[in-house]
Amino acid sequence: MLKILIGAGLAAMLTSAAVYAQEETLLPEMPEDAEIHRAIVKAVDDFIRPGYREFHSTAGALAQEMDALCENPSKAALAETREAFTAAAKAWAKIEIVRTGPAIQENHFERILFYPDRKSTGLKQVQALLAKPDESVVTPNSLSGKSVAIQGFGALEFVLAGTGSEELAKAPATFRCHYGRAVAHNVEQVAAELERLWEDPEGIQQDWKEPGPHNPLFRTQQEALTALLGILVHGAEMVRDQRIETFYKGEDSVAFPKQAIFWRSGNTWTMVEGNLQGLRDLLHVSDMATLLPEDQTSIVASADFVLKSMLRVSAEMNSYIEAAVADEAQRQKLDFLLLNGRDLITRLNDHYGGAIGLTSGFSFSDGD
Amino acid sequence: MTWRSGLIDRRSFMKAAGITFAAALSPQSLRALELTDAVYASGFRAADGSFGIATVSERGEIVDRVALPARAHGMAFCPSSGHVIAFARRPGTFAVAFRADRATEPAMIAAPEGRHFYGHGAFSPDGRFLYASENDFDGNRGMIGRYDAKDGFARIGEFDAQGIGTHDMTVSEDGAMLVVANGGIETHPDFGRTKLNIDRMEPSLVLLDARDGRLIQKHTLPSSLRQLSTRHLAVGDDEQMWFAGQWEGARNASPPLVGHLRRGEDIALVTLPERVTEGLANYVGAIAVNRREGIIGLTSPKGGSAVTLDAKTGAVLREERVADAAGVAPAAEGVAVSSYRGRFNDTVSHVAWDQHIIRLA
Repeated sequence: MLKILIGAGLAAMLTSAAVYAQEETLLPEMPEDAEIHRAIVKAVDDFIRPGYREFHSTAGALAQEMDALCENPSKAALAETREAFTAAAKAWAKIEIVRTGPAIQENHFERILFYPDRKSTGLKQVQALLAKPDESVVTPNSLSGKSVAIQGFGALEFVLAGTGSEELAKAPATFRCHYGRAVAHNVEQVAAELERLWEDPEGIQQDWKEPGPHNPLFRTQQEALTALLGILVHGAEMVRDQRIETFYKGEDSVAFPKQAIFWRSGNTWTMVEGNLQGLRDLLHVSDMATLLPEDQTSIVASADFVLKSMLRVSAEMNSYIEAAVADEAQRQKLDFLLLNGRDLITRLNDHYGGAIGLTSGFSFSDGD
Repeated sequence: MTWRSGLIDRRSFMKAAGITFAAALSPQSLRALELTDAVYASGFRAADGSFGIATVSERGEIVDRVALPARAHGMAFCPSSGHVIAFARRPGTFAVAFRADRATEPAMIAAPEGRHFYGHGAFSPDGRFLYASENDFDGNRGMIGRYDAKDGFARIGEFDAQGIGTHDMTVSEDGAMLVVANGGIETHPDFGRTKLNIDRMEPSLVLLDARDGRLIQKHTLPSSLRQLSTRHLAVGDDEQMWFAGQWEGARNASPPLVGHLRRGEDIALVTLPERVTEGLANYVGAIAVNRREGIIGLTSPKGGSAVTLDAKTGAVLREERVADAAGVAPAAEGVAVSSYRGRFNDTVSHVAWDQHIIRLA
């Protein structure tokens, strides 16, 4: 650890002829660059890159299952395709927390998952398409040029679990199946592109690992560490605000079970668990505890404890969301998740942020 | 669309704010100094994590505090009525009106359905209207809400801000024009503070007719600067409007961060020495003009830097390393600077000062 004293002596280092006297401020202990570098390399090589590889792999398996379903429809094939959907969605949920870099460029994110969608834009467009088939949508590579609302997991979930989905098990070569197949292959293509961008040794992974004056992303290791913490803080906010509060805001509020992500397929908690597992994996894999002063390493243990508790309760939730919000015991679990979600944000944002030099916490320091 | 009253009654305010906040709303000021010593106001976060707005002396000492239900951002001050308005940080939906002399109780202004505040606003010079930058988030367009300051801040209309990601706004000295900084970044409350279009930003600076919102002129930035989010404004001499930006592009670029414009003229960008731009970390969090001295103050929390420019030449007069530099405002001499670490001019308080300071006297 370094203790950095910005004192009057620093004034002489600035070349301006008219430099004010320097504020004498004792900054908190900050991790050394080499320690940060180690954490960033682990985060990139042992969490982010494997995360995109797993997502690509599961998306590929989903596309193959869709191919098989369209060629030889059966109840078993439909069930296997739905399972593949769950696996791919969970793989996405784990790496979805990385809302920075290629994922949020060129509409990659929206093409994979168009959500939240309070006005049901995606649903309306998918229903309209199924009611009035447009073959131009399902020809190879054509879907990527269409509305993002009909390209990703949200659209595929309706195909596989929405009204009329049982027909997929009966008739071969239906438009519904061909459209679902196009969506699955589209998601696989985006997944492949994200994996390619992160695997390029001179691409985004190098930008994360080697901050400096010529780096387009980070000038210093501290900036990279702040961004890494940002993934955790924003991820924790997403679980609470976009995965749970979207349909349940607390005991005094009206619940909107049909606003829950993937309620039709019973995968709402698949996503929540994937997000929480992703946060936990990143926290562990990057050894973020090692960046803290010895007397503050418990911050990471505390955050991990909260994550474990949230994962345990998520596993106890009813996947039928309409029933869950109507059940007193389940509502108490939802309240637990909201409360602990807030606690998790505080531990990461305020406690961890404060411990690495963001004295007022991560979010406070993002200006505006 | 029917406009509901902007000012909600105290009972609704208490309900919206919660019991803890309600208890804190009654005067709980430190009153370490006389209220007449207050020359600035700024938002803060207290050590216990609660939020408020404080009036502050010339030296930076806290004079009085008003509790807030959540974090505030920018402020507007009306010299004729003495009202200070603190706007919620985006995507917040409240603003609090109070008087530094405590002659009236604080009251809350609620954003209408389908809008949230962007964190800034300004009074017309005659104190008749309060304008606020707002987001029509489903329409993805910035708006300027218009409130009647003589009728309990009732919302009486809105103007299209002619851009997206509207942030700071101000009013020309004669009250004829609204000056709007559209940061160009799309956000939606469903996604919290996530920036949704960094690779497709559309920053712009806009002058509107204050009477009817008619567009007078709009300046976009050249394609090489489309990732410069033009966010903050300060009124200079001779109707010169200064603006400051935050660069969302490559970190190793050295873009201009500051500029000015006048009605009928194109925008002028000020090129700072590369070393100064580096010191600001390509990010200006606040800007202020000391018109008497002809200087511009800039602060950057990301760079930990406070910079003073000559308003006539753009030359750098001073640089100061201020860790977590927050707000800047014209001072009796030079500019007042605050920080997230509690520094405000000569004083360090046990609060984290927020991003903006407004001068009251």
